[in-house]
Amino acid sequence: MTHLTLSNVSKEFSGTTVVQDFNLDVNKGEFVSFLGPSGCGKTTTLRMIAGFEIPTAGLITINGEDITNNAPNQRNVGMIFQAYALFPNMTVAQNIGFGLRIRKESESVIKDRVAEMLSLIHLESKAGSYPYQLSGGQQQRVALGRALANQPQVLLLDEPLSALDAKIRVQLRSEIRAIQKKMGITAIFVTHDQEEALSISDRIVVMYEGKIEQVGSPFEVYNFPKTAFVANFVGTLNTAAAEVIDPLKGILSMDGVQFVSAENLQVKKKGDAVKFSIRPERFSFASEVKKENVLDCTIENITFLGSVVRIRVKIGNTKFNMDTFNNPFLELPKIGDKDQVTCSREAVLVLDD
Amino acid sequence: MKRGGLLWSWLWMILGILYFFLPLLATFMFSLKALKGVYSFKAYQNVFADPKFVTSFSSSVFWAILTIILGIIVFVPTAYWVRLKVPQLRSAVELITLIPFVVPAIVYVFGLVRTYSHPPLLIVNSPGLLVAGYTILSMPYMYRAIDTGLRAIDVQTLTEAAQSLGAGWGTILFRVILPNIRVSILSGAFLSFAIVLGEYTLAQYLAKPAFGPYIGLLIQNKAYEPAAATIISFALTWAAMGILDLIGRGRQPQLVGGH
Repeated sequence: MTHLTLSNVSKEFSGTTVVQDFNLDVNKGEFVSFLGPSGCGKTTTLRMIAGFEIPTAGLITINGEDITNNAPNQRNVGMIFQAYALFPNMTVAQNIGFGLRIRKESESVIKDRVAEMLSLIHLESKAGSYPYQLSGGQQQRVALGRALANQPQVLLLDEPLSALDAKIRVQLRSEIRAIQKKMGITAIFVTHDQEEALSISDRIVVMYEGKIEQVGSPFEVYNFPKTAFVANFVGTLNTAAAEVIDPLKGILSMDGVQFVSAENLQVKKKGDAVKFSIRPERFSFASEVKKENVLDCTIENITFLGSVVRIRVKIGNTKFNMDTFNNPFLELPKIGDKDQVTCSREAVLVLDD
Repeated sequence: MKRGGLLWSWLWMILGILYFFLPLLATFMFSLKALKGVYSFKAYQNVFADPKFVTSFSSSVFWAILTIILGIIVFVPTAYWVRLKVPQLRSAVELITLIPFVVPAIVYVFGLVRTYSHPPLLIVNSPGLLVAGYTILSMPYMYRAIDTGLRAIDVQTLTEAAQSLGAGWGTILFRVILPNIRVSILSGAFLSFAIVLGEYTLAQYLAKPAFGPYIGLLIQNKAYEPAAATIISFALTWAAMGILDLIGRGRQPQLVGGH
């Protein structure tokens, strides 16, 4: 059931369009991430849902109610900020109870709800601490508890993990996801970190220059990028220019090297210029025999990345990255070796113009 | 720090202390010489026996408290709004707050008298005009102290966090912003208090009882009593500021983030 709807939402600042014709339906309990580079309009869109910015055009509804022009304090939307934004003059318990006091809830309701939130964020022992006495991760958990205490209709998270170190970030994002699922709350998460978006979301909205490039599950966005931007932005990707040789059979030629794609190229003609992409992990050495796309290559570079080894190969005149899982018994080629790599037809994705 | 640097630091600190306390000590010593040949507190007895001293000093304390209250009411929302909504106007507003440094008090008071001494704005005899005048005189200190306090907190994010939790402007100002800039307000309040206690021109020309004109009158007629009154006012001002500090400070929130 659609819970949050953005219809043809646009936003201009001093004549510059930062969000253009944004359309999105978010279901109740869904976790949707806005992913894109700085300046793509993701935070502005989130701020329009929160009420901190008013759209230049379009409609925002929650549960069918038009909230486009409502003040931020009239929306019952919870917000979590990158900078935590805890009130320094209040203890953890007072921070969590702040919204409930604004609503003039009874002391017993506030006490129970604060205790419930403290338990949810595993900070029962810190109820009387002030924000400056907490670590960054603890502060952000308090911010989460404070936002959830009000039982908001939608939870908005504006790059909440960006200020934390890598280990805490991974741990906290799992906690956020678990709590969101447990409470069944609709959440919008803004991030520029594709790994974060892929790991936490039900759906990802990839944005670029104020427009939606693609909406889909992490699996769809990663494996089947619809545009060159999505393909490049989400994950590591090899892209190359080629010429269509046989549209029916999906045969492309790059510098005279033939690639076979499983994609339907019937809208293309022989000789058309196209761009195609292949994920690094879709390549393997040709000893694992495949029928198509067995490609001669030269080993250019080998980089050890921990669980993965990235090998840079030159096919024709174009360089591609190939990822292979680390294995202590793996016999790696040497730089300068001539070898053969392969990939499936399905791995060769022809990108939209 | 090197030994030489430390010596220089001490030297400059001692010089500073001497510069501040020597005139005070001299005034104090002079105030004890009311009786020929002996040190006594005679001048102090005379001052305390003068009902005008108590009236003028308590009046000035009263004006100072009203000035601080009006300053907080006017400058906290102004500085907050400028930071939050119109940051591009900050330099212009800062320039305006410096005007009392540029316009001499005598020019300012005649401006007030001329403007407010005929209908429809006949308020020249109202104590409100004196308090408003003092508020303007203390504006450079009060506004800047508040603005410095606001600079130390993330005004926009705290405001938005409070809004998202359902708070209106009044709640945000009184429960989120004010408690977090309390020390800055206090330092502005101290300076305003000290300015009003020693101010002469406005009270004299608006004909209101105040400590500045009283000292002025005393200097014209007595020798040792003005020195005694100065020492007393110094002690009372510090005592009053100490009380203000005790009332206002409480537990100051730490603004530094996590670790």
